[in-house]
Amino acid sequence: MSTRWYPIYQKGNPQLRVFLPNFWMKLVRPVIKQPPNVVQFSCSMEMTKHDIKNYLEKIYNVKCVDVRTRIHMPKTRLEPTFGYVIKDDDVKYAYVTLPKGEEFQFPDLFELDQTKKDEEANQEKALKQSQESYDKFLEKNKERENMPGWFSV
Amino acid sequence: MDCFLKLNKIALSLSNLRLNSSKYVSIIRSTSYRPICLTAANRDLTEFFDDKKNWGAQEVKSGRSWTKDELRIKSNADLHKLWYILLKERNMLLTMEEESKQQVRLFPSPERLDKIADSMENLECVVRERNRAYHELETGETGERPGKLTTGVFGLKYYQRMCEHVIPKFMNTKWNEKRKEYHFDKDVEQFLLKYREKLYLQKRRKQARDFNHVIGLLNRFPNMDMEVLKQHYPDVDIKKAKNSRKYGGHFAPK
Repeated sequence: MSTRWYPIYQKGNPQLRVFLPNFWMKLVRPVIKQPPNVVQFSCSMEMTKHDIKNYLEKIYNVKCVDVRTRIHMPKTRLEPTFGYVIKDDDVKYAYVTLPKGEEFQFPDLFELDQTKKDEEANQEKALKQSQESYDKFLEKNKERENMPGWFSV
Repeated sequence: MDCFLKLNKIALSLSNLRLNSSKYVSIIRSTSYRPICLTAANRDLTEFFDDKKNWGAQEVKSGRSWTKDELRIKSNADLHKLWYILLKERNMLLTMEEESKQQVRLFPSPERLDKIADSMENLECVVRERNRAYHELETGETGERPGKLTTGVFGLKYYQRMCEHVIPKFMNTKWNEKRKEYHFDKDVEQFLLKYREKLYLQKRRKQARDFNHVIGLLNRFPNMDMEVLKQHYPDVDIKKAKNSRKYGGHFAPK
């Protein structure tokens, strides 16, 4: 269960064990709607169905009834200036079925939109600052009316 | 020691880790320990996502990665646990990155992925060190994957990493087809001649370039540290460079 090199297994030898697996798995939002107990992952290309099952059960303590995999080939596109064909890397997707009764819903990670809030706060702050500086300018030039703005000590 | 892990709240701790064998439990109980991370263990699919308070955040603070020296003083069992913590953290970050990309949103603090990669690399290096030490003590060999320099079909040498086979070499036709050894060939010899000439010319041009560059440096910085210069350009004979007609600038002597 890793991309490293292992000695070949001969009958009668002790079972080969993987101590430091280096496979990765991503939980992705399914493009096509899936049943509530099916979770979609993208994973290392070298992973087999058995690997995926063991990975989830042993490391994440997630029981899986069934694992199906497919290799997705992304669409090719043309490079805008030179016009040669670009193809992104292939992705291996795994569809893992959880036991009956268990459900998984992909959470909305950007529900609490911090960026929008921050932006609004920044804008407000900038507005306030400009107002204050204008007030200051008026205060400074109260005594000398009809003078140009650049005329000062 | 555990700053990065502490800040990131990885959902595992030494105490909360599920330990199957009672042997490990007794080891941990007998010695004083510090938890690797502080959050409670919840081993399910929620581990693929970051802490809820970091969702949609602009920045997530994290410490530095684990260095080799820190990892060297850890026991094998600790390293094993730490590997899984790092693995889960990496999976979590990859998931968050992918989702951010899909939603066209900012993925906060992407340097965390680099830190994790760095830590994992260091950990693997330490484990390999121990492995090698053990093998050398027990068998007198490194225990690393064996390899040798071989000559390919086009007469170029490459490092062949060897592996075990079920079938002996003379019977393994498929393997023999794939890795043909080099035998004398007129055309290949011609190619090699030209290839070596190219390499030789590259080397000579580099030498000339360096020589001229050193003269330029000497002209611009006459009080330069010669030792450092020698270190940077070991091929250049500095005495010869100073005798060169290009050395000394364009002033006319009185």
